[in-house]
Amino acid sequence: MLTKLAGGRIYDPANGRDGAVDDLFLQDGRIVADPGPGAAPDEVHDLSGRVVMAGAIDIHSHIAGGKVNIARLLMAEEHRASAQEPCGCVGLATPSTYATGCRYAQMGYTAAFEPAMLPSNARHAHLEMADIPLIDTGGYLVLGNDDLLLELLASGAGEEAVADYVGFMLNATRSLAVKAVNPGGINAFKYNQRRLDVDENGPFHAITPRRILTALAGAVQRLGIPHPLHLHGFNLGVPGNVEATLDSIAAVDGLRLHLTHVQFHAYGAEGDRKFSSAAARVAEAVNRRPNISVDVGQIMFGQTVTASADTMAQMNNAGLAHPKKWVMMDIECDAGCGVVPFRYRDKAFVNALQWAIGLELFLLIEDPWRVFLTTDHPNGAPFTSYPELIRLLMDRDYRLARMAELHPALPEHTILGSLTREYSLGEIAAMTRAAPARILGLSDRGHLGPGAVADITVYTDRPDRRAMFEKPDLVFKDGRLIVRDGVVVAFLQGRTHVVEPAYDPTIESWMARRFDERMGQRLTHFRIAEEEIRGGIGLIRHACQPGSF
Amino acid sequence: MCPFCGLGCDDLTIEEEPPSTLTVRSTDCPVAREGYSRTTAAEPPRVAGVAVPLAEAVEAAAAVLAAAQTPLVAGLGTDVDGARAALALAERLGAVVDHALSDGLYRNLTVLQRTGWIATTLAELRNRCDLLLVAGPDPAALHPRLFERWVAPAPALQTPPSREMVFLCGEPLDSTRAALSGLPVTVLAGDPAKIEDAAAALAASLPDPSRASGAAGIAAGDIAALAERLVMARYAVVAWAAAAFEGPHADLTVERLVRLVRDANRHTRCAGLPLAGHDNVIGVNQVCTWRFGVPLRMSLAGGAPLHDPHRFAWARYTAVADAVVWVSAFRPEVPAFPTGQTVVALAPPGTAFADEPAVFIPVGTPGIDHAAHVFRSDTVVALRARGLIDRGLPDTATVLKAIAAALPQEAPAC
Repeated sequence: MLTKLAGGRIYDPANGRDGAVDDLFLQDGRIVADPGPGAAPDEVHDLSGRVVMAGAIDIHSHIAGGKVNIARLLMAEEHRASAQEPCGCVGLATPSTYATGCRYAQMGYTAAFEPAMLPSNARHAHLEMADIPLIDTGGYLVLGNDDLLLELLASGAGEEAVADYVGFMLNATRSLAVKAVNPGGINAFKYNQRRLDVDENGPFHAITPRRILTALAGAVQRLGIPHPLHLHGFNLGVPGNVEATLDSIAAVDGLRLHLTHVQFHAYGAEGDRKFSSAAARVAEAVNRRPNISVDVGQIMFGQTVTASADTMAQMNNAGLAHPKKWVMMDIECDAGCGVVPFRYRDKAFVNALQWAIGLELFLLIEDPWRVFLTTDHPNGAPFTSYPELIRLLMDRDYRLARMAELHPALPEHTILGSLTREYSLGEIAAMTRAAPARILGLSDRGHLGPGAVADITVYTDRPDRRAMFEKPDLVFKDGRLIVRDGVVVAFLQGRTHVVEPAYDPTIESWMARRFDERMGQRLTHFRIAEEEIRGGIGLIRHACQPGSF
Repeated sequence: MCPFCGLGCDDLTIEEEPPSTLTVRSTDCPVAREGYSRTTAAEPPRVAGVAVPLAEAVEAAAAVLAAAQTPLVAGLGTDVDGARAALALAERLGAVVDHALSDGLYRNLTVLQRTGWIATTLAELRNRCDLLLVAGPDPAALHPRLFERWVAPAPALQTPPSREMVFLCGEPLDSTRAALSGLPVTVLAGDPAKIEDAAAALAASLPDPSRASGAAGIAAGDIAALAERLVMARYAVVAWAAAAFEGPHADLTVERLVRLVRDANRHTRCAGLPLAGHDNVIGVNQVCTWRFGVPLRMSLAGGAPLHDPHRFAWARYTAVADAVVWVSAFRPEVPAFPTGQTVVALAPPGTAFADEPAVFIPVGTPGIDHAAHVFRSDTVVALRARGLIDRGLPDTATVLKAIAAALPQEAPAC
């Protein structure tokens, strides 16, 4: 079937289109070249005056896996409260898989990626992701606190062996990228250390966080994995942690590195409250170094729940839980998980400044291809707050009006009021579509050129950008119309994006021995078979290019 | 991969003796031996006691369920796919949903929902724990290879590797003593009905063991010595199997243990290990939680899922349910329901019923008749169990999907 999307204003930064009026043609789930005047489309949508973008892609959103389900269990009363809403799921920080898929699709998103998949929990995460309808998914594998890797590093293993280990683990767990969460810190917490400095040896394996960080960043490069190491850095939420953030950038020494929810890692310890914005310093470092990318992890005000593998940080924050209950878990010699409910209050100085720091980062980092729109769902806020966030970025007057409602001491602690930048539609398209696809290696997504998968979102151009991005007119997934005027009109299953880097399989005998000796599970059973992913029809493999980065 | 008790043992040697008889050779675990030995030959489905083809039984099931006003979809002894299909059917019916064994699970979940906790998993226990405190009855009664596989091996990730065990208000089974042979074991055999008192006394004496008081029939000196040991431990684990606790308020016992763990973390590292998990109750709860945002013991009657662990416990709800879909793919046992209640039962061949159900459809056992995903008892690890034999039995998911498909088409939305 040939479909014509006629006369829309196309924002497709990957192909250099910034609002030019053009037609798009879709066939068999992909965008095709204009078939010429003789062609007779089976279906035509008149998009005159409408804005057309590729389907949006969320590179960092906790949508599946053990910690998400613990958060749901812990927050069951929130679900009960919001069950009174007509749709049964408004305002939830812990939506079901069904609500997750529907909410993303209704906002024009066609893919979202779980950024913290523990190796031991990967099978669970995949089973859960398979139940998220409408959107594509994938997982980033958490390494860097796994005792096997730390042991390997402590033994003096070379870069090749580390890369082989990482390569095996990515293949076995069907992952798309490598994530490091407070490298070394979660492991140290299991030995009752509540802090670990970047250059301090861990308590058991005698390896420093710096060594773990550089080893993983190097392995990612060596294997040619498209996405750089996805780093949840050190001292999350601690005033003064900007030094560790800048140090991490320096530590990788020119290797590509993605700093995630960098808002939580851009804090100074200056001023009368010993808590200050260091957004400008982080932004300057990012602007100077093209090897660095970030997502922001913007906070928005209201009740949410924080869910992280970083037990060291979460244990420190547990006293702030609202409501006052929280869960910590040490997990399978891999990592851990900490789930702490939290309410960000607009009248609280610290929360207001966190909000401002996130926006400062968005506005000070110049290249929209290297800063990504996230709330670290649900940690900073539910992903459903993205349209509000987009309005804050695109509308300075609105931003100032919101700022005036916050804690009265805020203006003297932030430069936000002086920042005049307003994101353009083209920049939003880059930040939420083209750039996520590029940084994840999804070459046929995030753009609207011939050959691209026909994931497309159509908006009415409204001055109220929140209203515009909250409710697209049309959303196509794989060329099928799934949302019309904010209503899901067709259900289909997404796919699972993975990489399968080549590695030397001799590492497996070393690992098999340790699995037998320690993990109580054989390596062959740990490995997830292809038929386990969405019934065997779900995988999309992305090429790795060793040595190309 | 053994799917029965939730320990996820994947080192079994199982032999097939024709026709379709399985024998476990490599372990004397009673749960595995019994689970794999139940391979009665396939039998046809029955409607009102009369053998019928599968399609006819499916139609009959759909007919009685379509007429139900207050249906219950329960039992739910099934794998992840079976749970998905059961939940989808429950959504179509507007049913209440629960697992046969969620009583034990809820003694834990109630506390998690109320206060949260600090917990750990089996590999952490095996590799890092230097002090294992077992509270209450020996969990090996429910999880027979717990000590052999997860406690007897020396911890690889502690220096020096050492481990000792304390049994508090419970005695180790003979098999546990055998598995722990050569390791230091202390038994503080206090009153098993007063575990929470012992836990409270222990927690209170952590800051200053010299001020310990006796509790649950355990002398103050023993409590003091244990408190001292707990504070000195590098990684202590407090394990319990809540299903084995006595009394109607066993969740309060769990809550006390959870508080003990939190208090111990002011001094050292300590984590709880709440063991549960026969018949994939953990996995079914996981699926329910991700599919609906709330855990088991919930109702889909009002459109939006409503979770209430008291109201929607299956044993209570059977009193008002007018039709029950009971799934028990792991074991040929189904509870007796009130006389005259309409029951659609999916269970292995050879299942004996107190009253013949309206519809009985024999199904295969996950991990015997078909490959299956089940969850380990510590909630984190999902396991893949292979199919071993073919008795010609359908799996639960296939049957439940067929029943859902045979229901009358829903009226189009207005």
